[in-house]
Amino acid sequence: MVSGTRLPIVLPKPGASVNLASFPATQGHRVAESAVNIERVTESVEALKAEFEAHRYICSDQIATAVYLAYHLRKPVLIEGPPGVGKTELGKTAATIFGLPLIRLQCYEGLDEAKAIYEWKYGKQLLYTQVLKETLEEVLQGARGFAESVSRLHEFGDIFFSEAFLEPRPLLKALREEQGCVLLIDEVDKSDHEFESLLLELLSDFQVSIPEIGTVKARREPPMVFLTSNNTREISDALKRRCIHLYIPFPDTDLEQRIIHARVPEIPPRLRRQLVTFIQELRDLDLKKVPAISETIDWARTLLLLHTENLDPQLVRDTLNVILKFQEDIDNVDVEVPVLTNKAVKS
Amino acid sequence: MDGTLTSFIAALRNAEVRVSTAETLDALSAVGLVGYDDRELLKNTLSLMLPKTVDEKETFADTFDRFFAFEDVDGALDAGDPGGDGQGDGDAGTGAGGGEDAPGAGAGNRKSKNAFLAAATKEEGEEELGHGEMPPPRSALGELLMLDGRVALTVRMVEVAKAVNLEQIQVFTQKGLYTRRIMDEMGLPHLQREINELRMRGGLPERRLSQELSKRRERLREQVRDYVERQFLLHADATGRRLREELLRKVKLSNVEHRNFRLIQEIVFKMAKKLVALYSRRKKVFRRGHLDLPRTLRGNMGYDGNIFDLKWKSVKVDRPKVFAICDVSGSVANYARFMLMFLYSLEEVMPKVRSFAFSSDLAEVTELFERNGIEDAIAKTLRDYGGGSTDYGQAFEDFRHKCLDDVDNRTTIIILGDARNNYGDPRTEILKEMYDRAKRVLWLNPEPRATWNVGDAEMRRYVAHVHQAEECNSLLHLERFVGNLLRTVQ
Repeated sequence: MVSGTRLPIVLPKPGASVNLASFPATQGHRVAESAVNIERVTESVEALKAEFEAHRYICSDQIATAVYLAYHLRKPVLIEGPPGVGKTELGKTAATIFGLPLIRLQCYEGLDEAKAIYEWKYGKQLLYTQVLKETLEEVLQGARGFAESVSRLHEFGDIFFSEAFLEPRPLLKALREEQGCVLLIDEVDKSDHEFESLLLELLSDFQVSIPEIGTVKARREPPMVFLTSNNTREISDALKRRCIHLYIPFPDTDLEQRIIHARVPEIPPRLRRQLVTFIQELRDLDLKKVPAISETIDWARTLLLLHTENLDPQLVRDTLNVILKFQEDIDNVDVEVPVLTNKAVKS
Repeated sequence: MDGTLTSFIAALRNAEVRVSTAETLDALSAVGLVGYDDRELLKNTLSLMLPKTVDEKETFADTFDRFFAFEDVDGALDAGDPGGDGQGDGDAGTGAGGGEDAPGAGAGNRKSKNAFLAAATKEEGEEELGHGEMPPPRSALGELLMLDGRVALTVRMVEVAKAVNLEQIQVFTQKGLYTRRIMDEMGLPHLQREINELRMRGGLPERRLSQELSKRRERLREQVRDYVERQFLLHADATGRRLREELLRKVKLSNVEHRNFRLIQEIVFKMAKKLVALYSRRKKVFRRGHLDLPRTLRGNMGYDGNIFDLKWKSVKVDRPKVFAICDVSGSVANYARFMLMFLYSLEEVMPKVRSFAFSSDLAEVTELFERNGIEDAIAKTLRDYGGGSTDYGQAFEDFRHKCLDDVDNRTTIIILGDARNNYGDPRTEILKEMYDRAKRVLWLNPEPRATWNVGDAEMRRYVAHVHQAEECNSLLHLERFVGNLLRTVQ
């Protein structure tokens, strides 16, 4: 910093308050015709379900109802279920369907408000402090005595804690989206209890409080919030109370076949039936990590790549590592493979 | 219909699904959105709004089916109601059959009416024979009974049930009482009198009516009994159970009858779950020495970046290590059973429980608990180590030999026993050694305090070398004790 440089920043006029609304939202305007479309889609649970299917997400009535309620009641959805049943995918697909930007917050232990809601731009603040020092003289010119100097400085307000120095993090960003957005708070069970409490205000009133500035409310459209949890720990009652609670279990044979059909359409129906039956049988075994839908899809792709037409024990053995993620499980299942394959082929 | 929803929620609460007032309001607005028309949709909607765990969802599904089963019949009959009024469109149809209420179509009308009757009541075999003139019944209930649509009857029944406060039914012995009250309230005495009079008067039409009425009365009684039964399951089953649980909490554990073990176990799990919820938060301990730079900078921005409020990195406290030493000799075995059950149900907050069992020789049973379910493990422990005569001295000696080295200043040792040493050497010096090494040594004695030093009990000597000695002989004691334990070790 060269000394004597003119102050490059424009100080707000004395007494001027910082207006939150004057800051531009990041999202452009949505086209009007998509609004009509959304109206049609959210008209009934069936329409929503069909739309999800069109986006290659096959959902049960329960799931469609949850999204339907979430859209109309503007309530967050807490999605629980074993890993790999499409919890995160549901949030993503919903964002596509409603034509809203997706803002995703991945939770982990130690996540705090500085990373989730907002942070001050310290670097900028320090830099500006330096610059300000240089011009202090100018500001205080003509002031007589300490008291007058202080009162003159006061008139400038807390510019360092104003919007210009605010670094918005996902939650704040979500609130400030002009047209609304889909906020996906992923694996909320991985975060600490403290963070859960932070979420409460956001979830019930769609607002966050920043001590230095005040309360930031959602723009016209509050975001649609999806929270996912893998049940590694109990989510607090306070949080659950504010949400629609959706539990996604493993799908039954029929649903899973349709999912595979939607995701891997090239696979022949016979093989599809066989592999789904096999996976379903596998889920009944005592395994460390039960294969989920995502594994079924991976396996289907693998089999497709290998130009398979029918399951046979040798092939299953060779590709077992696609669906099972622990050596222990693979060893255990290895013995059962012929029986299970046989069952699957006969189905 | 809001009344229906609130009473459904009452039933849910009774089935131990926790529903808050806020959730009730949410559910109301959700139902306002989807309506009551589509049963499946309603069920999906409510199951998203009300239950908040997987277990609760199952309970919810049961309760929903039971609760709305009745409403469903009601609805179907509602649709069929015009049939009862003589329009004769057959069963629960929408009336698309074709305008048979034209005056000329008398025969057809009658025929379809009979079909409806048979469909609705399903046991009209005998009645077909004695078909003929019948005088109209005079009592109110009789009229209702002879009206073919069951709707009016059902509606009346529900009304009466409300009037006699059926929802407050508490124990199953009240079922008969409530059935009778409802029947009486509906006008059974009058009907009874009428039936008797008709029979006495002796004319064929009168006798026919009397027979018909008593048949229908029986059917009604059946229906009322069914209804009471359903309401009992919805409203009272859990209440009676709660009463029993409340009692079992206070009863001395050695007096618990075998048939109640299962229930006790459930209570233990429930208590443990409560404690887990209470203590699963890990507290932080602030350790000086590691400056947390980002947090310090942030925390001091309010002072324009002058750093004078320092923030330190924190570490999380290790969860407590618990050693449980249980006397499993005859007199204390039952207590040991429940204490072990409790400790192992607390796995989430106390993952490091090592347990030892002794009557004379002491052995570690931790592994047994890891490999088997709690119940099996307890049974095996009691079988293998229980039953001998107690020798605390020997047990302490064994403990010192086996794992005193593992005891450190984070360990809590819990000893469960009556300290009845059969006049053997108490070996208090070993207990003192444990006391010196461990963070805490706690002694639980199932006997009341007054008898602690009577006879061969060595409690007086042992108490000198423990941090705390408590009387513990019911689930309530146990809960209080474990709660304290968690509070102090964290």
